[in-house]
Amino acid sequence: MSQAVHEFTVEALDWKPYVKPVDVETATPEQLDALKITPSNRKISDYVLVLANEPETLKERTPLFNDIMYSEGGLSRGGREIGALAASFVNRCIYCASVHAARYIQLEKRPEVVDEIYGSGLDANLPEFEQALFNFGVDLTAHPDNVGAYQFYHLREIGLDDLQILDLIHAVAIFGWANRLMHTLGEPHRLD
Amino acid sequence: MTSPSTTDVIDTVLGLDRFPDLQALREQRAKLKQLSQTSYQAALRPADPRNFSYALRAALAARMAALWKSQELSAHFRALLEREDEGSALASIADPGNGIEDPRLQAILAHVDLVTLSPKEATRTNIEKLAAAGLDDRDIVTLAGLIAFVNYQVLVTAGLKMLRDN
Repeated sequence: MSQAVHEFTVEALDWKPYVKPVDVETATPEQLDALKITPSNRKISDYVLVLANEPETLKERTPLFNDIMYSEGGLSRGGREIGALAASFVNRCIYCASVHAARYIQLEKRPEVVDEIYGSGLDANLPEFEQALFNFGVDLTAHPDNVGAYQFYHLREIGLDDLQILDLIHAVAIFGWANRLMHTLGEPHRLD
Repeated sequence: MTSPSTTDVIDTVLGLDRFPDLQALREQRAKLKQLSQTSYQAALRPADPRNFSYALRAALAARMAALWKSQELSAHFRALLEREDEGSALASIADPGNGIEDPRLQAILAHVDLVTLSPKEATRTNIEKLAAAGLDDRDIVTLAGLIAFVNYQVLVTAGLKMLRDN
């Protein structure tokens, strides 16, 4: 059995669930619909197969997640990944962080931003733009009851318009969702 | 669906009918706004509630909103709870301060409180405790999904409130 990972890493990881994933061979029509399965496309992650235990929720969640992270216009893709990373650091979702750190580097070609977050965690000292996004993600995740004028001012200071702020809110919030599934229903392992 | 899905819960609890600019901003992301609302239906009032009654879902959601001091959402979920069958029997759950005798419910509440406020502390042991209290795999995924959704809604509501008030 491979080793569970309990420290943040940028390496690609495997995820092993604590509960049984749905077996595609015996899945119900509703589960197959939520998984959008075609016979030639059976490579589905264990994470999604675990969530397929609740197909009604999964069916809404998948397009919601995609729209929040990939919709046109508004905040840059990389900016949304910073929101995802900030949430994942507060919630210590090691798997989520590794995936979205890699995605940020791929999009922005700025590994030094991820290096600083990984090195210093919540105390990361980042360039002004990334710092404001990161701080907002940390604050909204850790203290949703305490975001207000202060956080808003800092987002405006770096030039974000209303739509960009809205996109950042959604990116952080959807990781409040994703972290609470991925970190609690299984754990990351080194790839075999 | 037994409750109207045309009403957007977040717009309603934040009184956004009085803030047309913010409503218009949300409409720029109409698809995700709609999917957030259908996710609410799937989490709180799914077609097949199975081992988590509508009343229990509403009570747990009210508790999570109260844990985050989200007055708008906790009032909303308490009102929803009052409308559900057997809702009054579960009213005490909505208040995080209250203790509960039933062991299954006790395990559920402990998990709800932990994963809402300190998800980073959750480990395999917490899932084993749910299983020991009689929850099957699907119940565990149902509970995780409800907790995850309500926390998402709390964060979106908090962020939109920031935009509304600044």
